[in-house]
Amino acid sequence: MFKEIFLFELKGSLRKPATYIYFSVFFLVTFFIGLAVSGVFETASSDSNQVVNSAYAVTSILLGTNILFSLLVSIMLISVVATAIQKDYQYNIHPFFFTKPIAKADYFFGRFGSVFLVAIFIITGLVLGYFTGNLFGMGEPQMGPFSFVNYAQPFLLFPVLNLFVFAVIFFSLTTYTRGTMAAYIVALIFMVFQFMAQSISSNIDNKELAAIIEPTGLYAFNFITEYWTPDEKNTKLIPLTDVILYNRLLWLGIAIGICILSFARFHFSQFLEPFNLFKRKAQKETSLPPAIFSLADIPAVTQDFSSKANRYQLWWIAKLELQKIISSKFFLILCLLMIGMVVLILNLRDQVFASSTYLVTYQMIDILSGGIGLFLIIFIIFYAGNTVWREREVKTDEMIGSTAVPNSILFFSKLLGLTLAMGLVYFIAAIAGILTQLYVGFYQIDLFQYLVFILTGLAIQIVFIAFCLSIQVYTGNKYFGFFLCLLPIVILPIIYGVLEWNVALADFNSEGVRTSYSDLKGYGGAFAIWFFYRGYWFSIIAFLCLIALLLFPRGKEKPLANRWKLSSAMFTPSYKAMMATAVVAAIGIGLFIFYQTRVAVPYYSPEERQEIAANMEKKYSKYKKLEQPRIVAVKLDADMFTKSRSFKAKGSYTLKNNSSIPIDTLYLEYTGGKKSAFAYPKFEPSQPFTLISNDSIYGVKLVKLNQPLLPGDSLSLLFTMEYAPRGIFDKVSSSIEHNGTFINYSFLPTIGYNANGELMENKARKKYKLPARDRMAKMDDSLARKNNILSSNADWIRFAITLSTDEGQMAVAPGYLQKDWVENGRHYYQYEMDSPMLNFYSMLSGDYQVKRDQWKGVNIEIYYQKGHDYNLDRMLKATKQSLNYYTTNFGPYQHRQFRILEFPSAASYAQSFPNTISFAESIGFISKIDSGPEAIDLPFYVTAHEMAHQWWGHQVAEAAVQGSGFLSESLSQYSALMVMEKEYGIHSMKKFLKKEMDSYLLGRTTEGKGELPLMLCENQQYIHYRKGSVVMYAIKDLIGEDSLNAAIRKYLNNNKFKGPLYPNAIELVNNIKEVTPDSLQYAITDMLEKITLYENYVKALNFKELKDKTYEVTLTVGSAKYYSDSIGRQTIAVVNDYMDVGIFTENKDKTKVKERPLILQRIKMDKPEKTFTYIVKDKPYSAGIDPYLKLIDRTPANNSYQFGKVPKIPNLETGRKKKEVVSAKKN
Amino acid sequence: MQLVIKDLIKEYANGVRALNNINLTINKGMFGLLGPNGAGKSTLMRTIAALQDPDSGTIHLGDIDCIQQKNELRKVLGYLPQDFGFYPKVNALTLLEHFAVLKGITNKKERREIVDALLQQTNLFEVRKRNVSEYSGGMRQRFGIAQALLGNPKLVIVDEPTAGLDPAERNRFHNVLSEIGEQVIVILSTHIVDDVKTLCNQMVIMNRGTILLESTPREAVTLVQEKIWRMAIEKDQLADYKTQFQVISQYISEGKLNIHVFAEERPDAAFEQVDATLEDVYFSSINKK
Repeated sequence: MFKEIFLFELKGSLRKPATYIYFSVFFLVTFFIGLAVSGVFETASSDSNQVVNSAYAVTSILLGTNILFSLLVSIMLISVVATAIQKDYQYNIHPFFFTKPIAKADYFFGRFGSVFLVAIFIITGLVLGYFTGNLFGMGEPQMGPFSFVNYAQPFLLFPVLNLFVFAVIFFSLTTYTRGTMAAYIVALIFMVFQFMAQSISSNIDNKELAAIIEPTGLYAFNFITEYWTPDEKNTKLIPLTDVILYNRLLWLGIAIGICILSFARFHFSQFLEPFNLFKRKAQKETSLPPAIFSLADIPAVTQDFSSKANRYQLWWIAKLELQKIISSKFFLILCLLMIGMVVLILNLRDQVFASSTYLVTYQMIDILSGGIGLFLIIFIIFYAGNTVWREREVKTDEMIGSTAVPNSILFFSKLLGLTLAMGLVYFIAAIAGILTQLYVGFYQIDLFQYLVFILTGLAIQIVFIAFCLSIQVYTGNKYFGFFLCLLPIVILPIIYGVLEWNVALADFNSEGVRTSYSDLKGYGGAFAIWFFYRGYWFSIIAFLCLIALLLFPRGKEKPLANRWKLSSAMFTPSYKAMMATAVVAAIGIGLFIFYQTRVAVPYYSPEERQEIAANMEKKYSKYKKLEQPRIVAVKLDADMFTKSRSFKAKGSYTLKNNSSIPIDTLYLEYTGGKKSAFAYPKFEPSQPFTLISNDSIYGVKLVKLNQPLLPGDSLSLLFTMEYAPRGIFDKVSSSIEHNGTFINYSFLPTIGYNANGELMENKARKKYKLPARDRMAKMDDSLARKNNILSSNADWIRFAITLSTDEGQMAVAPGYLQKDWVENGRHYYQYEMDSPMLNFYSMLSGDYQVKRDQWKGVNIEIYYQKGHDYNLDRMLKATKQSLNYYTTNFGPYQHRQFRILEFPSAASYAQSFPNTISFAESIGFISKIDSGPEAIDLPFYVTAHEMAHQWWGHQVAEAAVQGSGFLSESLSQYSALMVMEKEYGIHSMKKFLKKEMDSYLLGRTTEGKGELPLMLCENQQYIHYRKGSVVMYAIKDLIGEDSLNAAIRKYLNNNKFKGPLYPNAIELVNNIKEVTPDSLQYAITDMLEKITLYENYVKALNFKELKDKTYEVTLTVGSAKYYSDSIGRQTIAVVNDYMDVGIFTENKDKTKVKERPLILQRIKMDKPEKTFTYIVKDKPYSAGIDPYLKLIDRTPANNSYQFGKVPKIPNLETGRKKKEVVSAKKN
Repeated sequence: MQLVIKDLIKEYANGVRALNNINLTINKGMFGLLGPNGAGKSTLMRTIAALQDPDSGTIHLGDIDCIQQKNELRKVLGYLPQDFGFYPKVNALTLLEHFAVLKGITNKKERREIVDALLQQTNLFEVRKRNVSEYSGGMRQRFGIAQALLGNPKLVIVDEPTAGLDPAERNRFHNVLSEIGEQVIVILSTHIVDDVKTLCNQMVIMNRGTILLESTPREAVTLVQEKIWRMAIEKDQLADYKTQFQVISQYISEGKLNIHVFAEERPDAAFEQVDATLEDVYFSSINKK
């Protein structure tokens, strides 16, 4: 019988069109992605060292990172698999089966087996689609050799196994509860589970646990591959070891367990008495005496069919719908899950060290939106389907259909009911948010933002509700309708993403640009355009609804054509006029938006941008070596208009010919392009000149001086400029904010060809027939060393500015305030700098509060948004400590003043300008610093780092060559670390450095061009910041703080305020080598000149208590060292290195770090493995090699172990296998 | 007021012709629509109730063109479908009120009155707070009739209302219907001959989408009176008899198979004439060769 049941069911499924539609959707999505990554589409090209057809790449695609996508799979599964047995009950045909002599196993496994096979077939679309897409990229550089197993292995290991797990669970649940609701809830719970895994794994120590328990295997995969270098990603298969193995076995076991259990518990008789999760007392049926019927006793009533009555009916039914929703258990569960999610996100947010902030209202709302967004989508899809299908399912459709209620009332009452329910959800979320804020002790609650949250949220959701209702009206199957509803929010973004389409109009239910809220700039004026986008989508959806009304399933007609005919009486001229109005409105608003975003303003796709850059380079790069006079003084009159969000400036650059030849041609650069928001009524030298050309497309003006500028001579370059947003849409993205403007020198015109604007991606350069270029000039490129990293047209300049803003705001720029005055409603501030500075300045305006302090004659000022006074003291302290450490160890501070200015939180960085630092709202001003010994004081650290740039960048200007990041950023990181160490102690460094190492190891895995040693880094942030911290701290630890500071001081003194040739990293590295003993020279080479990674590990550890209450510890540790090339190919090196071994005891004092060192000894690892014996006084808790993670190590977890635990011995690579190297070819 | 149906044709996508040129004129009173399952009764009912469109043909209720003016028809229609259910977890009072609102009874006081009255008249008042989904079959049918009577229907359509009811309940249900039939047009579809015999003053027999007979129950019987013949045969002889005679029905009585044969004259000496019933009319109509 098994065969018959199996085949019967299989044939049934294979006859359904839905099966093929599901397959096609999955196929097409990955096919598109496959095509895109294979470079088939005309999109912007970026360089990558990774091939797209490796097992790693295939797994990434199959597992995806999009939780919504896995929801799509779940819905497919529930519709295909879960109902395999339940439908027999639903259609009341179970007696036919159960009265036949069918064995339980045949029925159960026959049914499940066949639907599972169908599900496998559908999911095959994912891997086949990607494979087929890849085929089109054959021969492209991003393609490695084709290998079938690269596709098959990930497919079997993840999607197929996951499908089995989920299918079994959904099938069992649905069979037992006779409904699919439980399955949907479980699908949701799994989603929350995934977030939970994310939350757990954000704490580095818990990553392994999350990896093992997370059901899809995604975290296990991430855990194993997170530090994989490009080379490893390209060549390795997915290793079926360690957590991947455990995770897969765990879930396979769970699935098989559930399968056996549900088979064992399954009885045919079960259908008579369904299992109910929420058991209620059964009510007894009673039969009453029959009717005593007399029509005479029925009162006459008035029936009202007016539109007033219709409105009454609308609200009446909507109320009923609302009651149905909120009284359902699903609603309660959804609300609970939502709240759970918000708690998880709150928890997650606290663990990520860079983003822990006070729970200000906009952050709380961000969390709420993030936490409930996914649930709202599911909520709407689920209830829209149920509400449209309910009448048919419970068979009241004919009775309702025969009443005189118009279709519009039946349809819109559902829309209204769902909207009310949604409003309730938003309201609950807002209340939960407010309570959370109060709970964490934050009392500055902004109710207006909550109101905006609810209203804008509803305006979004109504469109989606109406969309889902319409889809469910059109479709002939509820489950298929669910799937269709998800498509525009899951599939469209993926497709737009791979095609680089940035068409807000086609972006489903888009709000246009909605800039994030900030206490400084509020909503940034985005509501002006928000209404247009809403109007556009409301019109589109109105049209869909009007169609849906005509197709409303009122009678028993199924085909759409028949339903149309049934409702055709509604299709009156005025109805047609309404539809036409909706269409006209949609097109009209759409055109307006299109005009505003595409026609009125310059718009370029990423690919077009690359093309423009390429063309500009072709046309003008010949002027790269054209000798130009240097800017030696800048004098500006600049006005910021915060209401019209525009800007005007008048300026004069003093140019001096520093070269040895006369200069007659000036290359002037400004913001060009068609329809540019910038205008330059004047931009010319003060001397008589002849215009050679003025290219407004690329913004290049070439002028010939009538009298060449002789060496040593000067002239002025005068300009006036105006910037005004082009239209209301452009205004929203204007750089001039209503409050909290922060712009810089790059807003102004300049002189000389700027090579930084050239196309960097070599793949794209090849496409446009440009020669490959280096990311940065080589260290010893003397032409490049003529320029410093911050400006290519000036050395040290004199600077004066008169900056104005609207009255009520303060305007700030580098320099010292000479005077300020109010005139015509504008506030003018005049600043002048009295010491040399780089051509690198900021202009800010805002309604600031100011906090002032002093340190040894240096005025310290913090300009902040009212209310943001949480961390001012930390910033002041950091400023003072930094000044103290830097002036003591490096040299004097060049200014008499130090200012920190807050700017809005769309960005999250800080930037150092001469005596002025711009500091983003979110990373410093509203940061919340945890208590506890390992807490990282973010505002303190950032302040110290930016302060250090006043030395590293603003006293020493670094040459624009490789290694400049090492000189400016790594030195600033080191400086800040030292200030932090003095303030918070050595032990507080561990967590910070561990994060830094983690960021470095993660950063190098996605390197597109090639990793470089620290001293050669080319503006690679993961190297100059992250590796820089770890390495500089390790060097300090090895050679001593004083020695290192002496080397740095020597470099500073030799280069302070020096012009060309600017210093490169060789000088500093040599200084460091000079102060390093011979025995440690290897370390400087390894750390700065090579890419070096260690594998340090504990092999064995134990202790025994001796008679005198002391403990004898035996510790065996091992160490391996690797050198890596630019794509992560490793070669093993001989270890003969100094490093720490340590033994720790548990710290009873909870306010201090958890472990206190008993022994911390520097030893020389002159053998791969060594055993040490120590006698310690306290009971040892843990021990290890390099326990403070001073050396770069890909598996930091095995450096230390607690006593009693069995160390995991790493699988040491013995070196590079001699096999064909698979990697992205360099072009 | 009259319901006039002309040249009604409906063919489903699978080629089944559910309504094959139906012409009917129905007056006030009980109108019986008799036919086996699949005869097209429900299609006809739904078409009259404006839940389906015919391919061609017209339906008029008085001045109302039921196909073009569906909403006008719905205002005066009471409809109890064959297969119906109710929202789970909703009690009778709430549900009937809900239907009352849908029927345009927006005056709260009037609505309360008619809902209470109907619940009382259908004897559901005591259990009005009970969920309808938990009602017994008879109670459900009574509730169904109550909702059909909300408002002031001029046309009441009840599709197989007595299916599944026990005899006593069915009997009482008939009383309800016949009283309604005194006021308005009631169309009752059924496959149970007795229902028509006891209730209807007008009837048609329908099969395969076609009206086979239009009459009153009494007249219908006279059509076949003296033309129905009975004979007891062996079971294995049935096939032979079926080829020889027009066998309209068969049933087992005292272990023998009795057949009824329609014939103008006594077909055979072994046949005896029987007193014709409506059932014989029915079977002779639908089994006519």
